[in-house]
This record gives sequence, structure tokens and C-alpha cells, in this order.
Amino acid sequence: MNNGKKRLGYAVQNLLLIIYAVFALFPLIWMFIISLKSDTQVFTTTFVFTPTLSNYKEVLLRSDYVSYMIDSLIISGGAVIVSVIVGVPAAYALARYNFHRKEDLAFQILSFKFAPEILVVLPLFMIYQKLGLYDSYLGLIWVYQLISMPLLIWVVRGYFEDISVEIEYAAQVDGYTWYQIFFKMLVPLIKPGLVSAALLAFIFAWNSFTFPLILAGREIQPITVAITKYLGTDTAHYGQLAVAATVSAVPAMIFALCIQKHLVRGLSFGAVKG
Amino acid sequence: MARIQLENVKKSFGKVQALNGINIDVKDKEFFVLFGPAGAGKTTILNCIAGINLPEEGMVRFNGEVVNLVDPAHRNVAMVFENYALYPQMTVYDNMAAALRSNLYKTDEETIKEKVHAAARMMKMENLLERLPSQLSNGQKQRVAMGRALVRTPNVFLMDEPLAHLDAKLRNAMRTELKEMQANLGSTCIYVTHDFMEAMALGDRIAIINKGEIVQIGSGDEIYYMPCNEFVAQLMGDPQINILPGEIKESGKGYEFCFQANGQKLAVPMPEEKALFQNIRRAGLKETDMGLRPQNVKYSFTPKEGYFKTTVYSYESIGNKSVIMADCGDYQLRMIAPNGLKIQIDQEIYVSLEVDHSMFFDPQTKEYVSRYDEESIRAFAVEQEVR
Repeated sequence: MNNGKKRLGYAVQNLLLIIYAVFALFPLIWMFIISLKSDTQVFTTTFVFTPTLSNYKEVLLRSDYVSYMIDSLIISGGAVIVSVIVGVPAAYALARYNFHRKEDLAFQILSFKFAPEILVVLPLFMIYQKLGLYDSYLGLIWVYQLISMPLLIWVVRGYFEDISVEIEYAAQVDGYTWYQIFFKMLVPLIKPGLVSAALLAFIFAWNSFTFPLILAGREIQPITVAITKYLGTDTAHYGQLAVAATVSAVPAMIFALCIQKHLVRGLSFGAVKG
Repeated sequence: MARIQLENVKKSFGKVQALNGINIDVKDKEFFVLFGPAGAGKTTILNCIAGINLPEEGMVRFNGEVVNLVDPAHRNVAMVFENYALYPQMTVYDNMAAALRSNLYKTDEETIKEKVHAAARMMKMENLLERLPSQLSNGQKQRVAMGRALVRTPNVFLMDEPLAHLDAKLRNAMRTELKEMQANLGSTCIYVTHDFMEAMALGDRIAIINKGEIVQIGSGDEIYYMPCNEFVAQLMGDPQINILPGEIKESGKGYEFCFQANGQKLAVPMPEEKALFQNIRRAGLKETDMGLRPQNVKYSFTPKEGYFKTTVYSYESIGNKSVIMADCGDYQLRMIAPNGLKIQIDQEIYVSLEVDHSMFFDPQTKEYVSRYDEESIRAFAVEQEVR
């Protein structure tokens, strides 16, 4: 009896989880289904249709889709690399050193994430025009720091704060230089946080729409902006749109799978407690 | 192996003056103990010697050379941190080998293996070498931290309460081992502790530190028998020394010590000793605080000649013996008793003071004035110093 009750409990639990999974994944599934439909069937069928790869052929082979992807990769990847190079030392300083108005500075950095992009993008547009940064990789990588840097600094700072300062002292006494301590002793300890924060920053940068829409668009077209092209003025090619969106989700998924191990540890804080 | 000198070292953290003019001179191959209450500045002294903290004033010398501007790596010191400071991502073996793998103290892997295993054997943790620090208990971590220092041949070993987290048995074994090892290695060692037994057992000399200042430096016996003030007297010794406020009065040929217990006025004749009386007279001491170790207080449960009556305040065992606290109104008298006595709280007890083991302090300044047998104790201390 008891056993039966238990089993029923498991069944209900699993059922609820399955319902939630379907609910959460449905938009993605729907997108994938649409990507296999022809333009006419998009409007006339739901689940029963004749699958076709013509949309994929159209998007991947007959348009500049690959170059849009490469643009996106360069900008997002570049933004994350710059954020890591600049953000990790900044996080270390914010965690270790005491200086005037330290907390204010840290909060200022965080506050970059509060401002709605649309609010700052117009003045930035004017400035970029003047500086010649408009429609350039550098310009976009720079402005993407607003998205990726605060996240990275705040996550990594927490990790540095968790490492007891005596570990650094011990390494100094053991005869290591500051750079050796940083790379040999500290970087391995912050790695889970660094990797997961970098991945999240990459995804945010990849998904960014407002900045590239206004600050680029002719020479450089990241995928988010380029997708709008499939919405023609007269017709909307929903099938092609779906293909573009589906394929653009792939890189983030690949990265996430690669670093899955770190991702779980990295987002549950305090992994370094001695 | 080096002589370590601190000259007028001052260090403050913000508004807190952590060290206020520290002067110590640790001889080569000496085992030097820093002893004091929590927050006295013991660890800060070690950090100044290691180069982790830079003193704002004063000199740190190794073998006579000023090292104030030498960074920690180049001072060649080995330090055991109070919170272990093990590298969490490395195994115990790699932790211990870390110093010998740095560019500065590079050693070939063969020698490293030998040294790590020797240190592990000494610390009784050969079975732990492949573990990560997170898989160790606190006592084990502490041993790894010790082992990490012992694989080196530094100018000086700096040890910050290295035995605090070990169990009692291991601590005693380690204490003996440590002393022997230090003698064998012939290395200078500066050792921080707040355990008075450890300080007495290990230290060639002990420095008592309080509020960032050195209160007294001397051999264990010197400090135990001739503490320079009441603070040191209370710090050294377990159970704590008894401090009795009273007066020294002339009576006939000699002196007697008058004090109060539970309201009754009592007087104990003081045995004749020329040197002591001279010192007391020179100091112009009328009122005095008498310090008397608990083992010099005698008790009886029946009335006796020369004993005065009080009541038992508490009776507690401290292992192989017990401590009776007797209530004397404003203060309490501690005395040593065997275990297993049938004693009720508040029962009557008769107490006598062995005045000829007492020491005297100035009640205003709390400074040491004199004691019985001062000369022979001083001679003994000098003899120890020479040895």
C-alpha cells in the first residue's frame, strides 16, 4: 500500500515535470517545426505537414547567413575576451584592495546593467559617428562591455573574496612571484565562476539587438539584426526566419554543453571554501 | 638559519595600533615563543618578519642585514599559518612540494619526493598525501601546513599556533617532536601560542606580548617565578595565580602581611629574608598585592593552627588534579587539591598561605617589586641562559 502510494507520488511528480518541460520547450519546438514547413504550409497546417529543407537551403546557401554568424561570433567573442582580460584584474582589485570609494565604484559598474539600452544608444550613436566607431567591430565590442563586464566583474569578485588572503601570503612565502600566484594559485580557484560568467556574458552579447541595430548595420551585421531581413516589406518568410533563429541558437548551445561541468559548479557559489 | 632582530617596529591598521615599538632579538638557532592574549599582535609580528606586512617604522634585520624592503619570497622564511592556508586545488603532496617547485627554491623532483615523505612521516600523515585539503579534518590540515614548512631549510620558521587544532594526545607528541626537530635542524624558530604549557615546554625564551607591546622577555622559569607585573603573573600558570591585596606591617623584629578575608582582619608573619625586606623598604611599599601560586595555598577541613576559615566556592577537576576555589569576600583563592574529594559547595574550609613562596606587586602600578628567594631564581635563570 505504502509502496503503491510512493509510486503514485513519483508518477505525479514526473508528470508535472514533463508538463513543465513541454511548456518551457514548446516555443523552441514550434520554431523548429516551422523551419521545416514551406511558406504556404506555415499558415495551413499545425503538426501534420510535408517537411522540406528548402528553407534551410535558402537561408544557409543562398544568403549571407554565414557571414552574419561570423560577425556575431567576432563581436560577442571579442567582447567576452576583452571583458575577461580587463574584468578579472578589476574584480581582483575590488575584492582585495581597500581604496577610496571602492563600493561606489563597484556599484557604478553594476549600474551599467540597470540603464535601458535604448536610453543610451542615441547619444552613443552621435558619439560613434564623430569618433568613426560607427559600424565597426571595435565600436560594437566596446559598447558590448556594458553588457558583459558588470556580470563578469561581480561574479568573479565574489570568487576572489572567497579565497582567503593567507593563501596568497603562503604562496609568496613559498617563493612565487605575484604573476605566478595569480595564474597558478588563483585562476584555478576562480575558474568555475569565470567560465560560467563568461558563458552568460557571451549569450547576452550574442542576443543583443538594440546596440547593433543602431550602431552598425551596413558593413557589420550580427545575426540578431540580420534576421529581420527575412521579414520582407511585402512578405514575411516565417520559415526562413525560423531557420535563422534556430541556427543562431546553436553556438550558445554548443558552448554550454562543453562547459556543463563548470556551469553547475560555477553558478552555485562558495565552491572554494577552504 | 639566522638571527632575527626587530627594532622599534610599529604597525597600525587604520586607527588601530597593532604593534607599538617592538624590540626583539632572536638568536640564531633559538626557539623563541611569542605568548599573549588574543589580539595582542602576535600574528602581526610574524607577518612583519615574513614581509607580508610592512612596518611603518622600525627595522627588521636578518643576520644584521635590514630586510624591510625585501619581498616575502626572497626572505627565505617558512611560515605555518593559523588558518592553514593550504592550496585547495592541490593534493597534500603538491601542497608540500609547492615551495620546492617555485623558481626561487627549485629542487629536483627526486629530492622533493624524499623531503615530502620525510616530513609526512614526521607528521604521521603518509596515508594522506594523495588527498585534497577539502578531504582533511582540521587537525590533518594543520599537520599538512606544518609539513609544508618543514620540507624547507629557511632562515627562520614562523609558526602561528601550529598545534592549536590537534587533539590533546597528538599535540603532546608533536610538542616533543617539534622541540627535538628544531634542535636537530639547528634552525631559528619563532612560535606563536596562547597556550602557556606550550610556551613553557618549547621556548628557549618567551616574549609576553600585550596590546602591541612587549611586556617581558625571559626564559620560561624566569617569567613564571619573576613575572614583571600582575598581568604576566596571571597569564602564566594554570590555574591562575592568586592576587591578595593587603598591607605589610612591621611587628617587633619582623614584618607581617595583613589582609582581609570575609570581613575578618588577618595577619600572617612573614619569614625573615634580608634581601626581600630591603627591596620592600626601598620601594617604600606599604600596601601591596601579594601573588601566590595555587600550589602554595594549603587547606584543611578541620580547624588548624595558622589556618583561617572560609567557604568553598567551587571544586572542579582539571584532569589529574582539581582546583578548589575558596570564597574570601572580595576575591577568591584558588588551590590545588587531589581528585575525588567529597566536597560540598559552601562547606567550611580552612586555608593557610605559604608566604615564603610569595611575590609582591605594587598595587598602584601593578609592577613586580620583589619575591622570596629572588637571588637563587635569578641565578638559576642565568645558568639556563648560558646553557
